[in-house]
Amino acid sequence: MSHEQTSLAFRENTVRALKDSPLRAAMRHATDTFGTKRADAFAPLADLEALRDRASAIRDDVLANLPMYVDRFVASATRAGATVHRAKDASEAREIVARVLSERGARLVVKGKSMVSEEVDLNSHLEAAGMEVVETDLGEYIIQMEGESPSHIIVPAIHKNRRQVGRLFADRLGVPYTDDPQALTKIARKALREKFLSADAGVSGANFAVADTGSLVLVTNEGNGRMVTTVPKLHVAILSVEKMLPSLADLPAFLRLLPRSATGQTMTSYVSVITGPRKAGDATGAKELHIVLLDNGRTEILSGESRDILKCIRCGACMNVCPVYRAVGGHPYGWTYPGPMGIVLTTLLTGMRKSHPLVDASTLCGACVEVCPVRVPLADLILGLRRRKVREGFSDPRERRGMEAFGKAAAKPALFSLGQRLAGAFWPLVRALGGKDVAGRMPVPAKTPLRRRLP
Amino acid sequence: MSEAERERLFLENAATTSAGTRSVSGTEALLSALGEIVAMDSPVYCPGVTELEKAAAPLFPVRVDDYAAAAVTVEEVFGGIAETGTLVCSSEGGRAVQAGLLPAHHVAIVRRGRIFDTLDDFFAALSGAPPTNLTLVTGPSRTADIELTLAIGVHGPERLDIILF
Amino acid sequence: MKVLLFGTCLVDTFFPEAGEATVRLLRRFGAEPVFPKGQTCCGQPAFNAGFEAQARAAAKHFLWEFDGDDPIVTPSGSCAAMVKHHYPRLFRDDPSLLAKAVRAGERIYELTQFLVHVAKAHEAGLRGKGTITYHASCHLTRSLGVREEPLTLLSSLKGAIFLPMPDAARCCGFGGTFMAKLPEISCALADEKAASIEATGADTVTGCDSGCLMNITDAMRRRGTRIRVAHIAQLLAEGL
Repeated sequence: MSHEQTSLAFRENTVRALKDSPLRAAMRHATDTFGTKRADAFAPLADLEALRDRASAIRDDVLANLPMYVDRFVASATRAGATVHRAKDASEAREIVARVLSERGARLVVKGKSMVSEEVDLNSHLEAAGMEVVETDLGEYIIQMEGESPSHIIVPAIHKNRRQVGRLFADRLGVPYTDDPQALTKIARKALREKFLSADAGVSGANFAVADTGSLVLVTNEGNGRMVTTVPKLHVAILSVEKMLPSLADLPAFLRLLPRSATGQTMTSYVSVITGPRKAGDATGAKELHIVLLDNGRTEILSGESRDILKCIRCGACMNVCPVYRAVGGHPYGWTYPGPMGIVLTTLLTGMRKSHPLVDASTLCGACVEVCPVRVPLADLILGLRRRKVREGFSDPRERRGMEAFGKAAAKPALFSLGQRLAGAFWPLVRALGGKDVAGRMPVPAKTPLRRRLP
Repeated sequence: MSEAERERLFLENAATTSAGTRSVSGTEALLSALGEIVAMDSPVYCPGVTELEKAAAPLFPVRVDDYAAAAVTVEEVFGGIAETGTLVCSSEGGRAVQAGLLPAHHVAIVRRGRIFDTLDDFFAALSGAPPTNLTLVTGPSRTADIELTLAIGVHGPERLDIILF
Repeated sequence: MKVLLFGTCLVDTFFPEAGEATVRLLRRFGAEPVFPKGQTCCGQPAFNAGFEAQARAAAKHFLWEFDGDDPIVTPSGSCAAMVKHHYPRLFRDDPSLLAKAVRAGERIYELTQFLVHVAKAHEAGLRGKGTITYHASCHLTRSLGVREEPLTLLSSLKGAIFLPMPDAARCCGFGGTFMAKLPEISCALADEKAASIEATGADTVTGCDSGCLMNITDAMRRRGTRIRVAHIAQLLAEGL
């Protein structure tokens, strides 16, 4: 199903989310658990800061030379036997994937987790073309069944509790109700195994693309990513251009940081490095491999002041520590990517006009900056977008007038002092008139401000 | 890192990922370990290609050629990484890497001399074009997609046994 | 030693007692605080909301008022972080003001930084009373890197018991204009913070930023909790 962007209604969305007590309990539990696991996973790692510096420097280099690395990747992957397609936007990416699949007569498509496929809304397009598309990551499987979109980039069904999943499985799969995660997992295993074995094609994303070797790197836990990329005869991978790494020698730094940051694991169960399709003498791999490299505005971001967001490796750590995300979950953000990285990416990829309330969805507490494994300066990026919001005229007119007055008063002590007195005089009135949002939560100004108490 | 230290670290780290670990010397000990690990009445996929696989294969009364139909895969894998207790499975030499994925039980034999100290050492040792599929396996298949509660054996093996030979 | 006191607009307007307490503390430890009378606001509300020109106007005025070589002390982690980290950005295209901005960043101390590193107030045997817990405000902790100083001071108080708060450094939901723009989330975060405070069983909660303390006070009021909220300057000054 297709999901319309609702970022403009961010505040209304959050008001609804804040009243959803199962959601709030799930988010508290999840973010607390993430916090503990992440801390435990990093504790034994010597020289974490040096590792972050190294990973950050590699990503900086990739961005500084992105066209070169992309060209190199295209050449290497082609040499390895893959067919590489370049898609400039979402609709082109959807068309390419649909064409590759339908030209080969694919009816049943199994999918691994891919946020880029969510970004381009791939499933609805393939379904419209008559294909059955089955999400095989457990979390994605759950939300596909529910008709929802992911609320977290790593744990898509993070907003649901085990009872909700149990009822969903009982309703849709006709299995006896259970709320035991292990038993629910077994049910999904059984249902999806048949799909893997009979699928005509697998569609996956990729965590990294290695320029030197043309390899795709998938970092996973469940094994569905391995199934999707090795069992069907056709594999289509869709990824965004900035996922490049120069060489395989750069990978270890990211393998040390990504699982620890994402799930608090020292290493995920599986890391697949896929280089081209099955070749003569091979017994592993899809017979045909198509790689769709999506730009969708990245090249433009690269030349602007927000380019550092493209360093992001999608670990989700920033949302796990974000107080706002913790309170409301991922859906209120209204598009593919939630949390601090989502604020930045959504605004850049979908445009200020469709997303400007998101740039205010941060207290600038800096918790995200503290955990980002590749040192994306998220708070600075959000501040930059707020400046853009003001420049482009999307700020509230009352706020604009208020800030203009503030700017004048802050430079003129007499005016500032007058403002203080006026506030002191009128505050009780403002309060009485029902300024419940802010005025009601702030104290009345002191009768004598500090400036008149000191010599 | 000394050889003993490397082996100890490899086994210790693998054990923390819920993999079963054993260290054996000699074919006799390998066979006896397999006898204890593998349920002998289940269909076993054992490629019987490497020397160790050839030695192991006759042990299993029900051998199948199709790993998708097997309950257990017993195979020798490319190597291991001590830093993370990781197995390296490679498609090199016509190996079916997914054979270690589909059955519910994966038994991997890895030779001592094939353990790398760190991830860096392993990737540095990869010279030239990598094989079509290189999979690092660290513990059994897992998920925490429901309430971040660990569940084992989603789409891949629910049981992973490592025999260091 | 002469120090320039930056009261901050919030303390000046709403919490002058915290400013007076700051003055008493500074005097007790041998500093001579001077309050530049023309001071207004560091510009953070405008800066954080994306109004760069207005923030620059405020910042320029601050640099004028606090010109010189004397240390600047302020009872706010957030405002100190603004001067230290964001002023250089605001004046990146203006070499003479940039130099002043960088210099101001080097001269500015958040109050507890000054009390521990310069005044050694934690060795002075200050008195305290009751049970105290502490909210580690965001910019103080993560932007300014001041984590230990407030704890050092609070745990040095004779007669008071310090009770650590779970997730002390989690945001209280104030966030400057965030409080006005997304009040529902702001209140939800403040509620969770208030619950953490209540869970400690302390009779007083303190912190180094009056914005956060104001937001926490409001949550306490809504919840009907009778826990005293006081700026760290006030708690410390009471023990002089």
